[in-house]
Amino acid sequence: MEALNNLMYGFGIALEPMNIAYVFFGVFAGTIIGMLPGLGPISALALMIPITFAMEPSSGLILMAGVYYGAIFGGSTSSILLNAPGVAGTVATSFDGYPMAKQGMAGKALAIAAYASFIGGTISIVFLMLVAPLLSKVAVSFGPAEYFALMVLGLTAVVSLSDKSLVKGLIAAVVGVMISIMGIDLQTGTERFTFGSAHLLDGIDFLVVALGIFALAEVFVMLLRGGGGKEQPRNAIGSLRLTRGEVKEIAGPIGRSSVLGFFTGVLPGAGATIGSFLGYSMEKRLAKDGDTFGKGNIKGVAAPESANNAACTGSFVPLLTLGVPGSGTTAVLLGALLVMGVTPGPMMLEQRPDVFWGVIASMYIGNIFLLVLNLPLIPLIARILDLPRPLLLSLILIFCMIGVYGMSFSVFDLLLLLGFGLLGLGMRLFGFPAAPLILALILGNIMEESMRRALQISGGDWMIFVEKPISLVLLVIALLSLALPLARKALQRALA
Amino acid sequence: MTRLNSNQILALLLALVALGYLAMAWQIPAFPLPRPIDSDLFPKVLGFTLLGLSLLLFLERPQAQDAPPAPDPEEQARPLLLRPWSRVVVTALAIAAYALLLVPVGFVLASTLLGVGLTAYYGYRRHGVNLAAILGVVLALYLTMTRVMDVYLPTGVLPF
Repeated sequence: MEALNNLMYGFGIALEPMNIAYVFFGVFAGTIIGMLPGLGPISALALMIPITFAMEPSSGLILMAGVYYGAIFGGSTSSILLNAPGVAGTVATSFDGYPMAKQGMAGKALAIAAYASFIGGTISIVFLMLVAPLLSKVAVSFGPAEYFALMVLGLTAVVSLSDKSLVKGLIAAVVGVMISIMGIDLQTGTERFTFGSAHLLDGIDFLVVALGIFALAEVFVMLLRGGGGKEQPRNAIGSLRLTRGEVKEIAGPIGRSSVLGFFTGVLPGAGATIGSFLGYSMEKRLAKDGDTFGKGNIKGVAAPESANNAACTGSFVPLLTLGVPGSGTTAVLLGALLVMGVTPGPMMLEQRPDVFWGVIASMYIGNIFLLVLNLPLIPLIARILDLPRPLLLSLILIFCMIGVYGMSFSVFDLLLLLGFGLLGLGMRLFGFPAAPLILALILGNIMEESMRRALQISGGDWMIFVEKPISLVLLVIALLSLALPLARKALQRALA
Repeated sequence: MTRLNSNQILALLLALVALGYLAMAWQIPAFPLPRPIDSDLFPKVLGFTLLGLSLLLFLERPQAQDAPPAPDPEEQARPLLLRPWSRVVVTALAIAAYALLLVPVGFVLASTLLGVGLTAYYGYRRHGVNLAAILGVVLALYLTMTRVMDVYLPTGVLPF
């Protein structure tokens, strides 16, 4: 009953005309940006921060959340039509979506993606509504030691679940923490790593790093890969209609993958990508016609699409209840919230119920928008894929520039943006994952603060981190998350 | 002597960064009042961690994904200024020039020049569409930022 009352309160906020407009804009912009190959939800969110920083926090988060799940949905369109996923979370969709498009059933695949995303998103919001307040109650008892351990776990999980080298992931995370602690130490007023520059006294703005490492680096990568006007052939859309038999066939996979996707999203480090792959492989195993997966099976589109949208909603659980993002994307969301003056965490439910329940209620509205906007407008929206690539690259550059300058009014930050863009390019070329860096950048400061507060409480005794049971368990899981992939690799090598 | 692989070269560079970082961490002044943990401890932990990770990276064999892809021969046959790496360098220089000229020239003019110039350089030949699209987006952004969001953007040589 309490959850329903809270939800009604949330709807009171989400249904304010301006907030409805923000959801609509967020979902629309997210769909378009997510559709463009290469630009994922992190870039989409980073590009939106300058727009939201002057907004009411509830409105800002409503818009950003819309961009996030809109981008996940938009990614499926380019996966299906071009076999070029705009977002990593929709790679699994292309396995069957693209073969369907080649068989002249692109419209059907897009419609299944829209329905599956809608249902996956909606089911997971119900779970979010039920799970988040419970977790908040548990998290209220967390002290600095537990928080430190939780953040260590968040970082190691993201590193260990990345498909790239574990060592390189850890290096990216350490560099992210190093960047985050630049500037004046707020506890002692001491300058650290400012190189005597007044520009660095406040540290480096996270937006500069996020836009540089993701959006600008993506432009550089596209330029290296040809960048010019090579247009990809796009498949015709065809009919969007589904038969009753097809609806029956996809109902089970959508339901199962939605639940699986949500809980995958809640776990730190996992997210839309892993959720969608798990959903896909689960349905492939369960299906009687599993051998037709990869050749245009409609369940192969329904499962990853419901799972990735559900995982996207699930990732809001640790963000809103613990204040600890579990992925690069939610790290950018946390950064945006901090810019707006809101610190998510267990107290947010009591201190900022407007933000908490407003964003949850807005997700219901956003998912409806996704469906009604995308189904009839898919053929029209898909034309954005025809935008000449050179024009697109220049527009991304301009958005990055205005994003940074509009926040800091600093030419120095524009040059820093360029530096981070080149660093991001280097990271891509040499196989360093970017998500751990951005997550560490957001968590680094809070991590150090939690560690120092815990040690102040214990009088400098490091045993505080292992004496507290929750902290100990979290640290052991963090250690295992790093050790298990290494052990598996060693075992594979020994067996080979 | 065997040649170093890409991971080993990167590891040596990162080790140098870690050593420089540690040297700077040791120069962080101590807080006058005694505290269980001072401003320098966390950076020192980070510096040593990076050093240790550099060593691990030195020992790790590079995977196929860890090296830049071989250049496309078709792209390499183009004139020097139009090759992929030249495009990256020219874009980086254009961004640096934009940063330095933004205040004196103004947001609208600098952004339009950057956008139109780079789009044409990347090979888009419909110059009218290019100008209309970039100018439209730049003006829309400028008016939204300055009139709706009350964010100041440099006007430069233009009167508005």
